[in-house]
Amino acid sequence: MAEHQVNEGEKREYKIEIRDVYFDYVENKSNYEALKGIDLTIKEGEFVCILGSSGCGKSTLLSLLSGLNKPKSGEILVDGKKIKGPGIDRAVVFQQYSLFPWLTVRGNILFAIKQSGKKLGRKERKELADHYVESVGLFGARNRYPSQLSGGMKQRVAVARALALESDILLMDEPFGAIDPKLRLELQELVSRLCVEHKRTVVFITHDVDEAILLADRIVAMEPGRIKSIHEVKLPHPRVRDELVGTSEYEKLHKQLILSFYNQVAEQIDAEVAL
Amino acid sequence: MKKFFKLEKGAWFEFALATLLLIVNVILTLKLPYYSKHKAYYDSAPYIVVLIASYLIYAPRLFLTKKKSANDIAVVLYSFFILWEVSYKVGWVHNDLLIPSPEGLFHVFVEKGPEISKDVWGSIQLLFWGFLLAVVFGTFLGLLAGWVPRVREVLLPISNVITLIPPLMFSAYMIMILSTFRQAAIAVIFFAVFWPTFQGMVMRVGQIDPQITQAARTMGVGTIGMMRKVIFPYCLPGIITGISKSLRGAFMCLAGAEMLGVNLGIGFFIEKYKSFADYRCVLAGIVTVGVITTLIDLAVNKLKKTLIRWEG
Repeated sequence: MAEHQVNEGEKREYKIEIRDVYFDYVENKSNYEALKGIDLTIKEGEFVCILGSSGCGKSTLLSLLSGLNKPKSGEILVDGKKIKGPGIDRAVVFQQYSLFPWLTVRGNILFAIKQSGKKLGRKERKELADHYVESVGLFGARNRYPSQLSGGMKQRVAVARALALESDILLMDEPFGAIDPKLRLELQELVSRLCVEHKRTVVFITHDVDEAILLADRIVAMEPGRIKSIHEVKLPHPRVRDELVGTSEYEKLHKQLILSFYNQVAEQIDAEVAL
Repeated sequence: MKKFFKLEKGAWFEFALATLLLIVNVILTLKLPYYSKHKAYYDSAPYIVVLIASYLIYAPRLFLTKKKSANDIAVVLYSFFILWEVSYKVGWVHNDLLIPSPEGLFHVFVEKGPEISKDVWGSIQLLFWGFLLAVVFGTFLGLLAGWVPRVREVLLPISNVITLIPPLMFSAYMIMILSTFRQAAIAVIFFAVFWPTFQGMVMRVGQIDPQITQAARTMGVGTIGMMRKVIFPYCLPGIITGISKSLRGAFMCLAGAEMLGVNLGIGFFIEKYKSFADYRCVLAGIVTVGVITTLIDLAVNKLKKTLIRWEG
């Protein structure tokens, strides 16, 4: 399906190309190398999870993709063009606290619709906003302000707002990290369903192995500053966690990821002790 | 209706006490004789009207808000009035010139009613123009300086120096360069409000959660859109709070500004009767300023509540 839609104009193999990207944080003359040469390509419509422990540079990588930060060397291409800053071709869902507190749920989504630059009348815009509010199951709360919402509801709105921008690419920076496990599962399944429905290319940052397996077509495991390994996830969509757990494919993948994850953490601790 | 009259037992008791104090107040005003026939006598009607009006504000508020503090305030206030009334009539207060009776004080509003309302209106006009200009320009410039570092690095050091100079000090010079005393007074109020508004705005913009502005940037919001559509609405509650704070400073300057030579305004009223040594009128002028500031403050708070419903 996706391939039929892109044959207008030049057909590209990759939606996103990250080429030898390097980034460091400079503070008080000392610098911290967050990314030491990242190469990664992502196909159109692909759901990629970047998995890693805190401090491995995964959020930095996302900030470069969003354009909020610029790589110190190397380049990032979207549709073959080098990105020069934030743009509406890439919607971002942040960890938390990114909703506009002075706007209602619907107002927040209307803001994104207006920014998307689509030419719509007042009424059409409102209808579209309501459609997105409904798609994350918050129609009853559409006139509430963010301060009147729970953490889970806020992140639903953040997802709806990102979708409403109607960009091809969706970047998510640990969006459900601060949400309790039961709700998180609900939100994961929601995102998985919506992203397939809307055919977006997704880069999803997480430190949760289960979350990565549930959502991703491909999991990119990171160690500090580098990509450690890439794992294809060949489980069919849509995935339901209860059905996945116990299947051999799931168990194999889970074991692989956990092992690489713990090895890395153990190495890190050793390194810190040695210091 | 039943809910309206529901109060705690203690609150009912205190409400009864306040009511009793009010009645005692009225009786003392009407019946207690002066210790000396040489004391100044004024018609007690305006004073009694004020007492009853205060009761009509207090009692419904008590039943609507159920706040115990309303009771406490009423008891303290009415006790104070009783003390004042009695000490005047019994002769504990000897200096008639400096300390008037409550009847005398509130009688001023009848004697000089038109004059006071004209002066209040004059003051409000000065205040309005000085204030409006200062808030509009201060907020706009603060927004710009807060968001654009280059503008901030120029304006903030300058403002840090200027805010240290009391605005009234400009007055002598203002009179020379502006054509009327009225304009000079407005200019002084402008300076009193402009710089604090500007600095407050720069500070508020600096305190914005970066996640909010980052989210806006990822949605393709540019510099002007950021100020207009994101930072301004985000800072609006703070702007209104700032307004009610700087109102106090503005009133202080207003009194000073009116001494510049404007022949109208409540500051002028106070100044004039001070030179006539009519301290009864001076006190009445001070009471008027208190009432006006409170009313404006209430209006600003009301504005904030209707305008901003999103603050949790």
